[in-house]
Amino acid sequence: MWKNLRHWLDVRIGLDGIIQTQVIDYRIPKNTNIFYTLGFLAVIAYILQAITGIVLLIYYVPHPDYAFSSVQETIMTKVPYGWLFREMHTVGSNLLILIVMLHMITVFLMGNYKRPRELTWLGGGLLLIITVIFGFSGYLLPWNQLSYWATTVVTSMPTAFPLIGEPIARILRGGDHVTGMTLSRFFALHVAILPPIFLTLVGIHLFLINRTGISATPFGKIDDEQRPLTEYKRKSYPEGYPYYPSFFQKQMYMMMAYFAIMFFIITFLPTLNFPDAVNSPADPLRTPAEIKPAWYLLAPYQLMKIIPNKFFGIMLQLILLIVFLIWPFLDTQKEKNVMKRPILRGVFIFLLAAWVVLLYWGRS
Amino acid sequence: MRYLILSVLMIFMLPSWGTAGYKQEFESEFMTKTWAGVQVEENVCISCHASDKMKPEYREITEAWQASWHAQNNISCEKCHGGDPKDAVLAMSRERGFVGSPQPKNVPEFCGKCHIAIVTKFLESGHGKALMSGHKAPNCVTCHGSHNIQKASISIISEQLCTKCHTYERAKVMKQALFLTESKIEELEHNLEGLKREGIYPVTDERNLFSTEAEFRALFHTVDVNLVKDRTDEFTSRLDKIDNNIQATYRELKFRKNFAAFLMLTFAGMGIVVFLLNQTKD
Repeated sequence: MWKNLRHWLDVRIGLDGIIQTQVIDYRIPKNTNIFYTLGFLAVIAYILQAITGIVLLIYYVPHPDYAFSSVQETIMTKVPYGWLFREMHTVGSNLLILIVMLHMITVFLMGNYKRPRELTWLGGGLLLIITVIFGFSGYLLPWNQLSYWATTVVTSMPTAFPLIGEPIARILRGGDHVTGMTLSRFFALHVAILPPIFLTLVGIHLFLINRTGISATPFGKIDDEQRPLTEYKRKSYPEGYPYYPSFFQKQMYMMMAYFAIMFFIITFLPTLNFPDAVNSPADPLRTPAEIKPAWYLLAPYQLMKIIPNKFFGIMLQLILLIVFLIWPFLDTQKEKNVMKRPILRGVFIFLLAAWVVLLYWGRS
Repeated sequence: MRYLILSVLMIFMLPSWGTAGYKQEFESEFMTKTWAGVQVEENVCISCHASDKMKPEYREITEAWQASWHAQNNISCEKCHGGDPKDAVLAMSRERGFVGSPQPKNVPEFCGKCHIAIVTKFLESGHGKALMSGHKAPNCVTCHGSHNIQKASISIISEQLCTKCHTYERAKVMKQALFLTESKIEELEHNLEGLKREGIYPVTDERNLFSTEAEFRALFHTVDVNLVKDRTDEFTSRLDKIDNNIQATYRELKFRKNFAAFLMLTFAGMGIVVFLLNQTKD
């Protein structure tokens, strides 16, 4: 039965060939480390978000009169295991952003963005932005005090731009204030507009990784990739480890660790993402004592608060973002190992420390 | 090429220096003002009464109200006193419905605009009848205060307060009759708060508790000990139902924790097995 099915598929899609080239013959450089699994882990986390999101979508009502009760009453108390899917979706969204950030940081530190992988980096950077927009748009959907006021804060940030700032904020909100129109827009963004853009970018990202081949870490002994690379050559490692089982096992235990961490948070810190304000429906007439956006937007939010000129504050962030996205095109040095580049290392540590400080400052 | 890109970005930055201070109003809103949803309009009653122009005894009114249970529930001046809190000139105009402060005899009617059930029972009571017949008798503010009104509780019935007019004996019997039911209400309120902290939104139980509590406290305002004793079983049974729901929710929370812990251990276990397998192969 299984043999016949496999043969049936092989005739039609070349299954045996795919398994042979992508699993059995696929070699991984010997000096890869655990951070090489973060991309795979991000894919798993995205799939989990999609599955749990679809379950929540069945019961969620995107209307200001029903959104809160559909989440807090229907999903959290009436739907069998609805609480689990909501917790997994919420905890998963935060872990996902963390994984993608970590993935970008490790790729940066290992210099794996260098040519011919500039477009892979650019695609990854755009995917990080899409992931943050996913988180930001999903944050409003439960329509509670926390989400309502956090969205009000974040949608006010573009107003720092002269001339175009107000129109941008109005487009985001669908009016002057956060209302039911904003909820409809964010819902459409979260479930209909972002997913196809995201899937297209993931497709391009994976295609590019497959086309150029995996990049070896500069921290090990082997890195024979010659630069500058002037013509196409897929990087392969005939002497490397087979993908299956050694690297596949690494990916699997990272996946298990991911789920274990997720369920640890759900077990012991179930209210980590659900402070008291989550239990009150959105009330435009009552401003909570503390208003702040989600943790991944706290650093930009705090930076906006401390820079006296708001336009300068938002321009600085925009430029940092553009430099981050096009960094492979700006950094043309051959040296991949960041340990041998003290200036770059210093700038990176400074920016990372500034981000952490701003995040904690924004929390307090 | 990269220098060109960097130069373009730097030039892009220049307008920010050129427009320094462009959005200072944004900064002030960003830092201090209430975040714009529907902006809360300024209440002229508060701003005027809190100003230095007012005598201290009038200024104290706003401070007392701000610390009150009414303030916590958005019940502002005009809800009781009428008038227009948006118009400084006509705020205290009779045409805008301003009624000022009531005479002692009219206080039940004044408070009864909202506390309908309680005022009905109060007027049936000895207290209410005495007040309406023009005798010296307590009204709502005698026990609850006027502006610094706190959430009602059994502690209001005290020897210090009741003995201002009569002996404490009857009040003591009433307090004893109320004690168990009131304690249960307090316990349930505490448990519902606990559920909220656990991420549960117990809206049905909260509503049921609120209506039971309101009915029970309305009944108390008859100051009829026998009536309170007769109906205590009915209220106890209603409170027990709410308690059962709360306990069931706590059991459900415990199950959730155990289930999530089971999943955590399962994945941690599988992770360890795969890790050891990987080490063996290496």
